[in-house]
Amino acid sequence: MNRFVMQIIRFFALLLAQVLVINYIRLGGYVHPYIYLIFVMLLPISTPNWLLLLLGFGSGLAIDLFMGTLGMHAGATTLMAFCRPGIIRLVSGGMKFENAKEPNIEQMGFPWFFRYTLCMVMVHNFTLFMLEGFTFKLIGQALLRILLSVPSSMFLILLIVYLFSPTKKKAKFQ
Amino acid sequence: MYNLLRFIHKHHFVILFLVLEVLCVLMMTWTMDFHHQKRVNVTNDVVGRVYETGSNIGDYFRLRKINEQLAAENALLRQQVAVVTDTAQCQYDYRNADTVYEFIPARVVNSTVNRPNNYILINKGSHDGVEKDMGVVSPDGIVGIVSEVSPHYASVMSLLHSFSTISVRFKSNGQLANLRWETSNYRYGIIDDIPTHLTLNEGDTIVTSSYSYIFPENLMVGTVMELIVSPSGTLNKAKIRYATDFSSLKYVYMIRHTDKAELDTLIKHQPKL
Repeated sequence: MNRFVMQIIRFFALLLAQVLVINYIRLGGYVHPYIYLIFVMLLPISTPNWLLLLLGFGSGLAIDLFMGTLGMHAGATTLMAFCRPGIIRLVSGGMKFENAKEPNIEQMGFPWFFRYTLCMVMVHNFTLFMLEGFTFKLIGQALLRILLSVPSSMFLILLIVYLFSPTKKKAKFQ
Repeated sequence: MYNLLRFIHKHHFVILFLVLEVLCVLMMTWTMDFHHQKRVNVTNDVVGRVYETGSNIGDYFRLRKINEQLAAENALLRQQVAVVTDTAQCQYDYRNADTVYEFIPARVVNSTVNRPNNYILINKGSHDGVEKDMGVVSPDGIVGIVSEVSPHYASVMSLLHSFSTISVRFKSNGQLANLRWETSNYRYGIIDDIPTHLTLNEGDTIVTSSYSYIFPENLMVGTVMELIVSPSGTLNKAKIRYATDFSSLKYVYMIRHTDKAELDTLIKHQPKL
């Protein structure tokens, strides 16, 4: 129950942070970091696949409602949720994380989480900017946006996940 | 039937994924429809309220700049009052019968400049007398046209929109032209129907023409940046710098034409050629 409430709070906190703070970042119009992906990224590993898709679709749709781009973010986030089980298998190689309930830095280690973030952000941004470019016939611009937005999204996501990591690290200092 | 159900059960992940993606693409095509412009009603009050709360918090950090803008506008208005009283003293105030425009002030609660189609959300809606197709201006120049209205908020299609075309006039020689956005930079627009005999200088002023009843005549639009001479000798183009800084909009005015209903019926009953 507690974890359930936690997920809901995380969803709304990320949504508000995205539309009220991050969306105002305007560096030349090409840098668009998206931190709301953290919600889908940090869902428990045992989440059923169908729920994963619906939650991805829902979180993208919520952002769409705020940005007036109905369908674009929902499409990109749904694809990202679809790829998530595969990406987790891919970046884990043969490693098994039996006691890890959700993807995190403490148990999986930073290199694992970095690769995981990279794949997820790449899938999302590529789909999103291609959808935008497809609509407006500006493929060159879309590619430039991808090139600049992926690192900024990754940086913010890793920073936020690191800052909000629970207990393990603090325990070391005690 | 059983086999079908088994198939769906077995591949539910892929099927659900495809269904959701098709839904997304349908929503996208639906919102991109040129003729209806059936953009999702982002102007609903919940979204508006969230943005307004956010902007209320953000405003505390910008009070100084906003004060400066308001002071500058005050100065401009004072200057205009002086001119008006001046013309009133002369007996031939020909614009007297022309005061058919009302201004509704509003605050910008959210806006974008870096998307292919940009909108501005403002905190006045149908309860305050805002209607679709009203012109929107800032102290510096024109901003856009109201595209959707909810009870307390309205969404404005900014000049930075791929469908935006404004009828303008060169102040120096009275030539009429159409201004559109150049779609990549929020500072510049393009005019692409300039007759070749026309000479333009950098810094020439562009104002609204009298051919639209959305905007009053002679409102500032922008200045000429450069004239792009057509190699084929047909119509020249010009790059225009907007007078409005769309990235720092804070207060805008909506313009209501008090005779709009009358004009609409007149245009509707005009014989089609």
